[in-house]
Amino acid sequence: MKNEVLPAPRPIAAPRPWFQSGRFLLLLAALTLVYAYGWRVTKINLGELSRGTRFVKPFVVDLFRPDVLARETKTQDVQLGMTIDPRFPPEQLPASSGPTLSASTRVVAVGSQVTITGRGFRSNSTGTLFWVNRIGNPQQVARFQTDAQGEFQTVITVPETFRGPASAGQAAQQRVRAQVTWAEGPLRPSKTLLIVLEKVVETVFLALMGTTFAIILAVPLSFLGAKNLMAKNPLGTTIYFITRTFFNIMRSIEPLILAIVFTVWVGLGPFAGVMALALHSIASLGKLYSEQIESIDPGPIEAITATGASPLQVVRYAVVPQIVPPFIAFTIYRWDINVRMSTVIGFVGGGGIGFILQQYINLLQYRQAATAVWAITIVVAAMDYFSAWIREKVV
Amino acid sequence: MKGASLRIEHLVKVYPDGTRALNDISFDVTPGEFLVIIGLSGSGKSTLMRCINRLIEPTSGKIYIDDVDITSLSQKEMRELRRRIGMIFQQFNLVKRSSVLTNVLSGRLGYVPPSWALLNYFPKDQVAQGMANLARVGIPEKARTRADQLSGGQQQRVGIARALMQEPKMILADEPVASLDPATSHSVLKYIEELNKKDGITVLCSLHFLSLARRYGTRIVALKAGQVVFDGLPKDIDEQWFRNIYGEEAIEVEIA
Repeated sequence: MKNEVLPAPRPIAAPRPWFQSGRFLLLLAALTLVYAYGWRVTKINLGELSRGTRFVKPFVVDLFRPDVLARETKTQDVQLGMTIDPRFPPEQLPASSGPTLSASTRVVAVGSQVTITGRGFRSNSTGTLFWVNRIGNPQQVARFQTDAQGEFQTVITVPETFRGPASAGQAAQQRVRAQVTWAEGPLRPSKTLLIVLEKVVETVFLALMGTTFAIILAVPLSFLGAKNLMAKNPLGTTIYFITRTFFNIMRSIEPLILAIVFTVWVGLGPFAGVMALALHSIASLGKLYSEQIESIDPGPIEAITATGASPLQVVRYAVVPQIVPPFIAFTIYRWDINVRMSTVIGFVGGGGIGFILQQYINLLQYRQAATAVWAITIVVAAMDYFSAWIREKVV
Repeated sequence: MKGASLRIEHLVKVYPDGTRALNDISFDVTPGEFLVIIGLSGSGKSTLMRCINRLIEPTSGKIYIDDVDITSLSQKEMRELRRRIGMIFQQFNLVKRSSVLTNVLSGRLGYVPPSWALLNYFPKDQVAQGMANLARVGIPEKARTRADQLSGGQQQRVGIARALMQEPKMILADEPVASLDPATSHSVLKYIEELNKKDGITVLCSLHFLSLARRYGTRIVALKAGQVVFDGLPKDIDEQWFRNIYGEEAIEVEIA
């Protein structure tokens, strides 16, 4: 046997390192362009994050002291008739048994100073003095502090107030009003908390009703949208495509937009939110259900058919056990999403907690807003946990 | 109980895509036989099995079970006939999320009114029969377990118990052990053999391993490209036949 000489291994040209290849450089240039444009078009300005802290600080601070518990508030409220026109004498208000007010003079001119004295108020408390015009508009003119005997004396300047069309007449009769407010008794749920809780319940049920309506329509529709059941003849295929197109179009419309449409249609309130969530969920659930029906294992169907079972029995014993648990899981998941959705649907008037959250923010009532934000957080987290737990149980 | 007889005459199955899965198949099975069908994947074994209980409609040819031509039966008559033909599958085909007992009882569906299905109701005596069949395949303690919690061998035994619920005259076993390990394969095949020997049930069983076919079969039919290429006793399959059935390149693999 003759020894064969192996051919010398040919040197293989080392490939250029990846970062020198033309394709990579082209890709790099393209990405640079894309991100440069993106940075500009979205007006990214990281400096604002630090400059804006003072604006966001009150909100962040209040986020950690939500309006949850409060003591019962008591108010002492006394008024004294005044006039800014000597021709119209000051009103004589019926005297009460409680605190009283008196003034150095009760006939005053706008811009002049007058000393107000109060007696019989709660001792060592702070209060507020208001100037009230004829139509009942209060205007704060001073803060005061009562002494140990419950008395105070404060000098105020008579403000210019709106007197209305009858400027020469009765509008000259105005009032001074003193108010002392304090909290007493045990801590109890604040009014905000009660409102928020009521709205949280409304939110969860808004999501529940929306999801329920969606299930009722999505279950039958999902069979029409399942290819393995429908695409057996041209008519079925057409129905399948129409159903799937409906699902895809409806799914791509945000529930927030649907909610705007429904607030116009059925008016502001939770019903509009229910309809918006329902319509969007029909499409989402329908698609998920259809895909589940398409992915069932045909084996059990074959096996049950082979035992001589009727078509109804085949559906009951081979199809239903396969689709019911995932249907339940998807539905709970959708409800979970809908609870999250329904917290913002209120921003456009669709009911639920978002409605009052927006009000609190607009009125700069950050502590109340914080209560709503915490409530949303707790409910969404709880739903998340609950839905995960259920899904684990059934699937 | 006496097994069913089977006679197949000129059976042809052409799928819509033009595949000729069965090409003029004819053979007889006498009551109480353990007929093993061998052949390469795609040789038509599964199609043949499914034509016998018309899960697949044959294109032409006749199939007689106990001298009744089943190819001319209506759907309703066919359902009544299927009640007496048990079927066992390679992938077990259990409803995975249902309990073992429900899977076993589903073998009885052909005998109970369809409306009972809504409540998943089975009479007491049938539940007792289901438990007895589970005991027979050695897993009575698994009755309340979900089917997918079981091992492969146990799942196949549930499949056997389900077929037993039908009080079958014939069992079609489509590669019953192809998904199982060698030891489990023997245990499953022994249960099927017991039904064949003790209860006299006619068994048609497709197998991959010739060693298993020789061990369990009373007769062997070999398919190749939709045609019967061998029909005879297990001992008659020699090296030459083996190459003929499985191709010239084939080497026989033994299974212990």
